[in-house]
Amino acid sequence: MISLVLRRLGAGIAVLLCVTVLTFVLLYSSSGSIARNILGDQATDEAVAAKEVALGLDQPLLTRLGDWFAHAAQGDFGRSWFTNEPVVGSILGRLPVTFAMVITSILLIALVATVLGMVAAVRRGWVDRVVQVAAVVGNAVPGFIIGIVLVLTLAINAGWFPAISAISPGARLGVWITSLTLPVLALVVNGVGGTAQQIRSAFIKQLELDYVRTLRSRGISEREVLFRHVLRSAAPAGLTVLSLQFISLLGGVVIIESLFAIPGMGSLAVNATARADLPVVMGVVVYTVLIVIVVNLLVDILNGWLNPKVRVS
Amino acid sequence: MKSRTTAAAALAATAALALAACSAGSDDNGSTGGDSAGGATLTLGILGEPTSWDPAQAHVGHALQPYQAVYDSLILREPDGTLSPMLATQWEWTDDARTVLTMDLRTDVTFSDGAAFDADAVVANITHFQEDNGPQANQAASLEEVVAVDEDTVEFTLSRPDASFEYFLSQALGLMGSPEALGTDDMDTLPVGTGPYVMDGGQSIPGSQYVMTARDGYWGADLQKWDQITLRVLVDSAARANAVSAGEVDAVLLDATTYDQGEQSGYTLLEYPTDWSGMMLFDREGVLNPALADVRVRQAINYAFDRQALLDQVAGGFGEVTSQVFGPDSSAYLPELDDYYAYDPDKARELLAEAGYADGLTITMPLLAPNFETLTAFVVQQLGDVGITVETTAVTQQEYLDVLRAGKYPMAVFNLFQGPTSVAYTQLLATGAAYNPFATTTPEIDAAAEAINAGGDDADSAAQDLNRYITENAWFVPWYRPSQLYFYDADKVQVEAQIQMAVPSIYNYTPAS
Repeated sequence: MISLVLRRLGAGIAVLLCVTVLTFVLLYSSSGSIARNILGDQATDEAVAAKEVALGLDQPLLTRLGDWFAHAAQGDFGRSWFTNEPVVGSILGRLPVTFAMVITSILLIALVATVLGMVAAVRRGWVDRVVQVAAVVGNAVPGFIIGIVLVLTLAINAGWFPAISAISPGARLGVWITSLTLPVLALVVNGVGGTAQQIRSAFIKQLELDYVRTLRSRGISEREVLFRHVLRSAAPAGLTVLSLQFISLLGGVVIIESLFAIPGMGSLAVNATARADLPVVMGVVVYTVLIVIVVNLLVDILNGWLNPKVRVS
Repeated sequence: MKSRTTAAAALAATAALALAACSAGSDDNGSTGGDSAGGATLTLGILGEPTSWDPAQAHVGHALQPYQAVYDSLILREPDGTLSPMLATQWEWTDDARTVLTMDLRTDVTFSDGAAFDADAVVANITHFQEDNGPQANQAASLEEVVAVDEDTVEFTLSRPDASFEYFLSQALGLMGSPEALGTDDMDTLPVGTGPYVMDGGQSIPGSQYVMTARDGYWGADLQKWDQITLRVLVDSAARANAVSAGEVDAVLLDATTYDQGEQSGYTLLEYPTDWSGMMLFDREGVLNPALADVRVRQAINYAFDRQALLDQVAGGFGEVTSQVFGPDSSAYLPELDDYYAYDPDKARELLAEAGYADGLTITMPLLAPNFETLTAFVVQQLGDVGITVETTAVTQQEYLDVLRAGKYPMAVFNLFQGPTSVAYTQLLATGAAYNPFATTTPEIDAAAEAINAGGDDADSAAQDLNRYITENAWFVPWYRPSQLYFYDADKVQVEAQIQMAVPSIYNYTPAS
């Protein structure tokens, strides 16, 4: 198990390095006109040139890359080109909101999708068909459309939830919950479909295997067969789907956070990308890749725990 | 087995987090939260995050508003554009050439960190503004020297007459930050000014919301009308419209696409123009495209546009069509020039034929995606109708300004602020102007500019001559002045429009009684 974790960790670090270097080269190799964007249309050429020097844009790409890594290795991701805010500070300030939203969503998706997938696989018939149709629809409608519908009905018409986030530093838990309910709902509706279908397939596959028949023939109760044996055997497939779902949730929050004006990583990424605030974009990329690597690692560990075969393979 | 316990612990921890979040919800009955009861509080939606809070990095238009909450300016610009005393009690040009401005200052003002406001503080701020290379650094372009004459008098010496200079002292150039804080990194995230409000750093989240509380002992009671102002950053236009529909902001700027939501919400609409939309014909000397050197070709382009159709379809009909680049609030404005180029494709074809382009011609233009596709499609179609083929090259937002300034295209679609005459001149027509990349000028323009900057009795008529000249010579292709669609909750707040500013000044909001 330890060697599995170490191997995955090594691979994760390699991925992180590759993504970071690639992103840096792609972003910074076309950053010539950013100084003009920061200074605006009235800036003179001299002012723009001075700004380029101040931002280090006059240095060769390799020098800048080395410089960035030297600082990043010490946890210093520089400062925003537009607001001069430290990048690490603005990311850490926003992570809790995004995390609360993504983690709650993934847990709800796991719960709802497992129940739906299980019911559909065991009952089959019309229940199965309803679940499948609902799954396809839920998966096909973009998250922001679901978000808009939720805002119109539950926030604007019913007035039960705020239409834009009211989360501020030190906001009460109640404010967090009311502010995040609709965004989480939008993400969950969007994510449940695909996951439920995968879990259903994994379940059906297990139910058709010989060991299930053997268990049943021994007179073990259906409940025990399903929850103790089938669920555990189908879980790795479900977990893998969930880890993929987690990654697509990180993409989904980008749009949802803008729609609800939530002060999270997604809106930070959107704003930074729109104005080419490269240090912030780099910081967001690094943190996101780190999160994805950690989640994958956790999933691997969980899989190893559930299925001993994974540990030796 | 160690891994099993770690994984279980991790699982339990996440589950506990989610459970805690769920269970705590039961004692909160879905209140919308956020509103502090009682007291005069104002919540404004703003369009973007302020760049650094350092006053030298302040911007104009809607981007100036947040700075006004925490920084006073030397001169106050009234809603109608009149300049009034603020930190400066009075000022006058003390030489005949209008290059020396002497200014008296208030003596009862302190910064929120306790530093005194005096002539030295003004010198420190202006010097810092010049050195800090902010987005409006050009506001100090004509300034040669600023000196403290005595404790409450400063003297500005300009290298040339500049009719915009007093106006600039009511904008970014005039914002006064604490000399103790200027140039420090802290100043970028926490403003320290003499303004009516101070930022509550604990309640503010950069890029999301800024909470400003009224400052005790502020010198100008008339300017401080609220106990607290919250500025919510709402970049997404759907989020702004939703905020209005749900009544979560007291005032915000919407656009033609979200107008309906604003209207249905019962908010009051404040509609006024600040920009002009249209095309810049940069290449009036025919450097890139010889055809554009012919005034008949430029006039033909102007006659080729059905401006009303454009306004209706692109801006939802909110605005006024025009053929001049100067706005109704500038001294150069002439009402009769608004319909100078009425839609006349036949006349456009005639003019092109006269100029020797009966068989048509081709002009290239940058296409800014994702902002100007619709407008560009209109240009291609309308000019195509009279025989002008328009070839476009896609240019990103980051490159657009650079590409225009570098003179790579003979013309471009643009949306630009209509400032006071001298400001518009500096932006559009001066040989160093951002939107005059080929540095074209004529004796008529130079003479008018000199008279405008000299500021005498002839300034206004010179401004109008200038306007008539560039309209008749078709230096630009203005289409319309789009309206600002500013919605506010009249039960809570009264709002007055601010001339030539995309959103009202922070002083223009009064609690509804």
